[in-house]
Amino acid sequence: MRATAETVPQAASRAQLARRLRTVRRAVLVGLLIAGGLVMIAPFAWMISTSLKTRAEVFVTPPTLIPIVPQWHNYADMWNALPFASFFLNSFKLAILNTVGQLVSCSMAAFAFSALRFRFREPLFALLLVTLIIPFQVVLVPNFVLYRLLPHPFSESGNWIGTHEPLWVGAFLGGAFGTFLLRQFFLAIPHELGDAARVDGANPWQIYRHIYLPLAKPALATLAIFTFMWSWNDLIDPVIYLRDIQTLTVTAGLSLFQGQYVGRWPLLMAGALVSVLPMILLFIVAQRQFVRGIALTGIKG
Amino acid sequence: MTALTRPRRPAARRGGGGRSSDGRWALLFLGPTLLGLAVLSAGPILATLAISLTDWDLLTAPKFSGLDNYLQLLSDHRFQVALRNTFFYTIVSVPLGLVIALGLAMALNTKVRGIAFIRTAYFLPVVTSTIAIALVWQWIYSANGGLLNEILGAFGIPTQKFLSDPTLALPSIIAMSIWQGLGINIIIFLAGLQGIPADLLDAAGVDGAGSWARFRHVTLPLLTPSIFFTTVLSLISSFQVFDQIYVLAKPKPTEWTITVVYFIYENGFRFFKMGYASAASWVLFLIVALFTAIYFWSQNRWVHYQ
Repeated sequence: MRATAETVPQAASRAQLARRLRTVRRAVLVGLLIAGGLVMIAPFAWMISTSLKTRAEVFVTPPTLIPIVPQWHNYADMWNALPFASFFLNSFKLAILNTVGQLVSCSMAAFAFSALRFRFREPLFALLLVTLIIPFQVVLVPNFVLYRLLPHPFSESGNWIGTHEPLWVGAFLGGAFGTFLLRQFFLAIPHELGDAARVDGANPWQIYRHIYLPLAKPALATLAIFTFMWSWNDLIDPVIYLRDIQTLTVTAGLSLFQGQYVGRWPLLMAGALVSVLPMILLFIVAQRQFVRGIALTGIKG
Repeated sequence: MTALTRPRRPAARRGGGGRSSDGRWALLFLGPTLLGLAVLSAGPILATLAISLTDWDLLTAPKFSGLDNYLQLLSDHRFQVALRNTFFYTIVSVPLGLVIALGLAMALNTKVRGIAFIRTAYFLPVVTSTIAIALVWQWIYSANGGLLNEILGAFGIPTQKFLSDPTLALPSIIAMSIWQGLGINIIIFLAGLQGIPADLLDAAGVDGAGSWARFRHVTLPLLTPSIFFTTVLSLISSFQVFDQIYVLAKPKPTEWTITVVYFIYENGFRFFKMGYASAASWVLFLIVALFTAIYFWSQNRWVHYQ
């Protein structure tokens, strides 16, 4: 009401200035983001570039991005240098088993912790959370000892060492991260849904199977992607448990490759690139779920 | 995260009538998890403690040796430097990684055309295995034709041995790890930022708060749960550093690059000193437990849940 004829244009020009300032700030921001994005992309670009060069070309000064003649045979040379086909099959097999195992066992545990009522629920969940925080390397030795005790009909050692089993069986026995993630999601499902189903005579398994699981698809997708990724990228377990070259995973195989082809950067980069392709494809396909899943579950409280 | 500490529906639990307990169903649903806890995670922590009190090479029977392994750790120079390196790694990489990620998340939280593409660039290293990343960085850091040295050379800076120089090796590995881990923290921060009600920021703006004031008094407090979560994640992963060291410090790390987990691996699975490796594991466990306990305890003081 008090606004006089003077203050209105003053306010207008101030708004104009603010708008212009915002535009400038925004341009700077986008510029920085693109520069940062280039820093993130550069090592990948360098990987591709090097993988297509000759052995001599990689040491040229100043370094070039585009190879003079792309050496596509580097990929074939790398693929045939070690049994990479086996490495890929092994990694896929383990990643799928781990993913299935985690989805089943973690969703069941998460259901118990969010929808069932029983004694010791809180202390048990607290115990599980403690295992989320401890580095799993702390239990490397006892796990190794345990798998060494378990008999295995098809292994040379007679126990689980040297087989794939130590790398996936544990995934069927729950996990703190997955359980925590899914529980956060399950807690957001209205309790009344389950209660109503119970009144209608549904048992907890049916409620879990037909109400909770279908509603939790985004969270399950997130857990699946994470588990697949962890399994695919895991290095320390294959290094510890696997012996025979045919049984190696992509990561362990790449590590072996690195040791055998020191300084042969084109081949090493070709191997690195091929090894990450499945993850990058998965990420591009599932990026939305990847990000949305975290937004929905990670930290909502 | 509040749900962790807040008891759920105390009224319903007090009820007693109707369905009072789902004990048997709980046992069914938790069966796999309980077995996992017993034989793969919680149980083995105690087993680690037991093994740490022995001298055991896996081939002969374990011999009880009391606290010998711990006493030996105290005077083992390699263990001391492994601890020092791990702490250095944590103290540098966690805060630095979080601050950079927060800044980038705020920048990425704008609506500009093509922003989704830029975001993808930041997430890419997260899904890539550390070994592939370490391989390409090993090449970039190389003292023999490496890209970084070529770039520095153009400015007249002499060739650096990034990965073998005592003062540069660990910082170089840390830089690579921060680069790799940015994306995951950015995702979490973005989710947190997008959860901040726009009208809250608008209201602050109408009340005359500048952008710094809005950040300091609206965004930052509302983001504390995300900051807490990302810090916990970063802390845990920084105490677990192994892959980078395994790949970049071949054939084996020097005293400038060895970490505690590599020390455990080396003693347990190269030298088959199971008791000694277990003692180191138990020390690592105590350190991480202490750190996280302090951190969780601190959250009441600075984390605001909506």
